[in-house]
Amino acid sequence: MKTFLTIFKKEFTDTIRDRRTLFVMVIFPLLLFPILITVVTKIQSSQMRKAEEKVLRVGLITRGNAAGIRDMISRSGLRLVENIPQDSAEALLRRDSLDAIIAVAADFDREVAALKPGTVQVFFKTSDDYAIAKRRLTEIVKAYEKKLLADRLARLNLDQNFVDAIWIEEHDIASMKEMVGKTVGGFIPYLFVIFCFMGSMYPAIDLAAGEKERGTIETLLTAPVSRFQILLGKFGVVVLTGLLSAAISIVGLYLAVRTLSELPPDMMEALLGILDAKSIILVLSLLLPLTVFFAAFLLSLSFYAKSYKEAQSLISPLTIVVILPVAIGMIPGFELNSMTALIPVLNVSLATKEIIAGTIQPGLLAEVYLSLITLAAVSLYACTKWFEREETIFRGA
Amino acid sequence: MILVEHLTKQFRLSRQQRREMGEHFTGSTIDAVKDVSFTCTPGRIFTLLGPNGAGKTTTLRMIATMLKPTSGSITVAGFDTARNPVDVRQHVGFLTGNTGLYDRLTPDELVKYYADLHRLDPGTYRTRRDRLFTLLGIHEFASRRIGKLSSGMKQKVSIARTIIHDPDVVVFDEATAALDVVTSRSIIQLIRSCREQGKTVIFSTHRMGEVSLLSDDLAIIHRGRMIFSGTYREFQNQMQTSSVEDEFVRLVEVA
Repeated sequence: MKTFLTIFKKEFTDTIRDRRTLFVMVIFPLLLFPILITVVTKIQSSQMRKAEEKVLRVGLITRGNAAGIRDMISRSGLRLVENIPQDSAEALLRRDSLDAIIAVAADFDREVAALKPGTVQVFFKTSDDYAIAKRRLTEIVKAYEKKLLADRLARLNLDQNFVDAIWIEEHDIASMKEMVGKTVGGFIPYLFVIFCFMGSMYPAIDLAAGEKERGTIETLLTAPVSRFQILLGKFGVVVLTGLLSAAISIVGLYLAVRTLSELPPDMMEALLGILDAKSIILVLSLLLPLTVFFAAFLLSLSFYAKSYKEAQSLISPLTIVVILPVAIGMIPGFELNSMTALIPVLNVSLATKEIIAGTIQPGLLAEVYLSLITLAAVSLYACTKWFEREETIFRGA
Repeated sequence: MILVEHLTKQFRLSRQQRREMGEHFTGSTIDAVKDVSFTCTPGRIFTLLGPNGAGKTTTLRMIATMLKPTSGSITVAGFDTARNPVDVRQHVGFLTGNTGLYDRLTPDELVKYYADLHRLDPGTYRTRRDRLFTLLGIHEFASRRIGKLSSGMKQKVSIARTIIHDPDVVVFDEATAALDVVTSRSIIQLIRSCREQGKTVIFSTHRMGEVSLLSDDLAIIHRGRMIFSGTYREFQNQMQTSSVEDEFVRLVEVA
């Protein structure tokens, strides 16, 4: 134990003095959430405000119909452009001379008078900012429709209930925590797993391939300690940095939520609810065996590499391999069940979603732990055997 | 004391290495060291001489228990390297030409690390550290990061690391190969001082000057096989050429 602690202490000191590792392990996860959330929400709200406040140039083709619609458009602060030939409407929209066009059918008034639906065409470009033009014009047309309908009902001396045969009352019993958990909850484990992997990556490269490249592995192997003890010391540091990285990203997320005043209060409350101690401990306990697997796998590859550069080339593409199962976990409708609970990485992603939403089933959680602990044990054993091979340590030497 | 008996080390070749060996090569393994035997006695300097790829480093790595022999045996300070590798390492100091230091640690931290790995008690560690740091002049840069030290300073730290546990056997693997004259001299002084202290010293080198300067016993190794083994005086007596270098080349060519 004393030897393990000696090696662990030295490796940890060496690791945290490496600026690159420190950046990936501490600075990046700590600042990512605050920067990401601040920048995205600020830009998004500013763009939305701009789009909302923008005076839209709306082309109106009525052909003498729909007398009331013109007034409604004018009242809503839009700039009306009239007398546009129907055949050039689309072209004007495409070259941004107009933001949207409302074209009323030539038989609109006649159809409406005959108690039939009149046709109103709304032309817009979805590629424009947040489809604000479409939303605002649709609102106007809907309001106009409501007015026409009210006129009809009055003419026929009927009540509004005549057209509302069913009154739907929606009761969503999902708590805000559940809703946020099932939506944001898919994204958060994605980041935690990535941080775990990235936090382990550089120390694993430095403590194995870096050690080989610097020639320090030779002198270390002549010290009176077993190879298993050496590996365990390095292993401990790689696991710790991976977990620290994920834990620091949780701190970053917490700071971002606490300091971001632009989030709606109920959303902020739900997000803070996600970050309660029980959920965090459960998520970290899932990440622990996963990080053990990452550490064993990364150290094995890194010990195989002849140099730091070769290790980077071998390991960097794996980021994609890790992202894939996590990304699958983000797909809506992909749930944790007895089958998915056995698939490493994916099970962490799905289980984290359930933990955050507060809907995790103990049986499935136990299955996830069993799968991850088995994987961690097998990978650690394989890594130990791999490290004891002369061909691994002295490859190319 | 080091006792090497019928030592053989085979390496399995990768597909690429087999391809590089040429079409005439049909095997899957190569003998890096083949049936080598010698004895290094305390208080004497044993020189292992040979061209590049001769098997010197492989032999020294087996002595230091980094590699396991395919056959044959090595006994170091009374312990068998295959059966008691940790005991062997407790008695061995290993120094290479590559200083093998951690750039982000200070000399103080590095030497303490190796002392802890050798389980030195704090009192013994402090005494040895102070003596070595004074002897090598390390005190003035003991708290600076190793990465910021000159190569001469690094080599001094490397020496302190190698002998902090006061090993009975010291292995020098081409320890002067990449060093300038001044730094090489500190290694040569260390080798001599180890002999004076009655330690068993084995060193490999390319430099003929060092052979004549230091050797008590000499073994010449070529393509993994021993082509000469004896005292340095015996080597001089059987020389058929005028210089050590010429004689070395002659023996290699004959082999």
